[in-house]
Amino acid sequence: MKGYGKYFTKKIIWFFITLVAAIILNFALPRLMPGDPVAMIISRVAQNINDPAVLRQMYESYMQRFGLDRPVIEQFFIYVGNLLQGDLGLSFSRYPRPVSDIIAHALPWTIGLQLPAILVGWTLGNVLGALAAYIRKGFDKALMPIMLFMGGIPAFGMAIILLTVFSLNLGLFPIAGGFEQGLIPHMSWRFVFSIIQHYHLPFWSIVLISIGGQAIGMRSMSIYELNADYVKYSRYMGIKDRKIVGYVFRNAMLPQVTGLALSIGAMVGGALVAEIIFSYPGLGTTLLQAIREGDYPLLSGIALIITVMVLLAVFILDVIYGLIDPRVRAAQYEE
Amino acid sequence: MSKIMLEVNGLTTKYITRYNESVYAVNDVSFQVEEGKSVGIAGESGCGKSTLALSLMGYYFPPLHYTKGDIIIDGRNISGMDPDDVRKNILGTEIAYIPQAAMNALNPTRKVIRFIEDVIWAHDPKISKKDIHDLARERFETLNLPEDTLNKYPVELSGGMKQRTVISISTILSPKVLIADEPSSALDVTSQKMVIKMIHDLMELGYIKSMIFITHELPLLYNVTDDIMVMYAGQIVERGSADQMIFDPIHPYSKGLMGSILVPEDGTRDVKITAIPGTPPNLKKPPDGCRFAERCQYVKSQCRVQNMELAGLGNGRTSRCMMSEEELREAYKNE
Repeated sequence: MKGYGKYFTKKIIWFFITLVAAIILNFALPRLMPGDPVAMIISRVAQNINDPAVLRQMYESYMQRFGLDRPVIEQFFIYVGNLLQGDLGLSFSRYPRPVSDIIAHALPWTIGLQLPAILVGWTLGNVLGALAAYIRKGFDKALMPIMLFMGGIPAFGMAIILLTVFSLNLGLFPIAGGFEQGLIPHMSWRFVFSIIQHYHLPFWSIVLISIGGQAIGMRSMSIYELNADYVKYSRYMGIKDRKIVGYVFRNAMLPQVTGLALSIGAMVGGALVAEIIFSYPGLGTTLLQAIREGDYPLLSGIALIITVMVLLAVFILDVIYGLIDPRVRAAQYEE
Repeated sequence: MSKIMLEVNGLTTKYITRYNESVYAVNDVSFQVEEGKSVGIAGESGCGKSTLALSLMGYYFPPLHYTKGDIIIDGRNISGMDPDDVRKNILGTEIAYIPQAAMNALNPTRKVIRFIEDVIWAHDPKISKKDIHDLARERFETLNLPEDTLNKYPVELSGGMKQRTVISISTILSPKVLIADEPSSALDVTSQKMVIKMIHDLMELGYIKSMIFITHELPLLYNVTDDIMVMYAGQIVERGSADQMIFDPIHPYSKGLMGSILVPEDGTRDVKITAIPGTPPNLKKPPDGCRFAERCQYVKSQCRVQNMELAGLGNGRTSRCMMSEEELREAYKNE
């Protein structure tokens, strides 16, 4: 396990380096953007006030409140300090609601939608790819073009296709939202049923776009592994085919785990787009509103949360990968 | 006369190509191997050596197909047996195989001991884990392999160690016939020596009862095996003792092959190396007559029409040539 400890330490150090970089970027980017958010708030709040002195006073009071009158370095440390306390500032567009509160309401929807969808898409894609490699013939020939097609459709395209077909034309599922409008969220059968009904289309649109790419990757990995020398040797040692297929798919899965780590950022991005199209009450939709309304604290808060989630997912996958592939440990040992 | 461990009668196997053409890579091969003996198979690349090795296992995967002939191991005919029966009761226990590319013969993500368990359980699921571990430890000890090899992953072993590990695994069920397909070709000379010593030990300790050793390195065969068979275009062209074959080959092809040996001995710097001109025939359409006729310097018109059978020459030697031993010796003398 010595090799693994080294691997783990390295991964955790990298995780923190990228996290710090993400926080710095997240702090700097909104401040580099053109436009004065405080002026925007004033213009909205103070529509009937024409006295320049009062406006100036309001402006200064907001500047003070948001801490924008202090030096940038000081702002940064205040920002980090607040961040550590879970304080992401106050939303501009829903002032004075705290950003952390808005995110806390949207986050469960996003995690509840994306985590199962990405995992189901990844698993189904890998199973289909492995079957295509093992069965070959007609199954492979029929499946692969479909997978190529699905893998090639952008996230919004898939969401729009599903929306048009199943909800506009066939009327099987609701068009938008996370639950029926007018319902108050509480534990009741009607509410749960409504959530499940609204869940289907965004869920399947994310699953379908993840399946394609995964199936194609898994198929070629499995074909490669099926022709490996150890397969032939194991067969000639009398080991049953079923057992050998087990070896093959376990080994073919390994690059797929790395592949998931590499593509999870893009997958989350695509899933956010799917949320927007279905007006799902998660981070994606909130993000769009924040962009529209120039709500910088909310925007950067969401961006930070998404970045941290993706970094965390990649870190977890790296840790798992080190556990399931002995070669990674051996490589660390040699260094 | 000692017991016959392996008897092969008229064995013919073919590859079926993607375009449905049949390539008879092993054509009407007959020979015997007695208990305690080792037989070498020599020949240039593509002559069917490795295909013969695989064909002898009695277990065929596409594109290799069985056509006709008998493989009799210690009195038991395994050709025509149910494949699952062969897998369970023949492979590894009666006849075992050491692959050409032992570098990749082991599943990279499985510890050596786990693979040994898989091998043994494939033949007898009732054996306890402890018995398997005891057997493996005992074998590794007698064959001078470090015991901790068992708990390593194949990636953690050097090339020579990997090859010796594979040999120990192949022979762990004490097969009656061991087929070694170029087990030392990819190794440096020191590892090669260890592998050869190990193979001698296996025979001496009685872990194997007979052996077929395939290589294109003729000097190695002289060291390792009792008899040598020379193969050409899917057929055996000559068989004799190692001494006879190396120093006194009779068949024109063997003669040419032995003439191409490079040995770093006194005076050999000035010896001219002879190579056999031409290339082997296309086995999709083998010639009617002698398969070597095109490249033979002693060819007669009759050779192109009539293919000879392997015929005894006395002294236990056999050869496949139109010309008699005397005629050939006369011809060689005049060179």
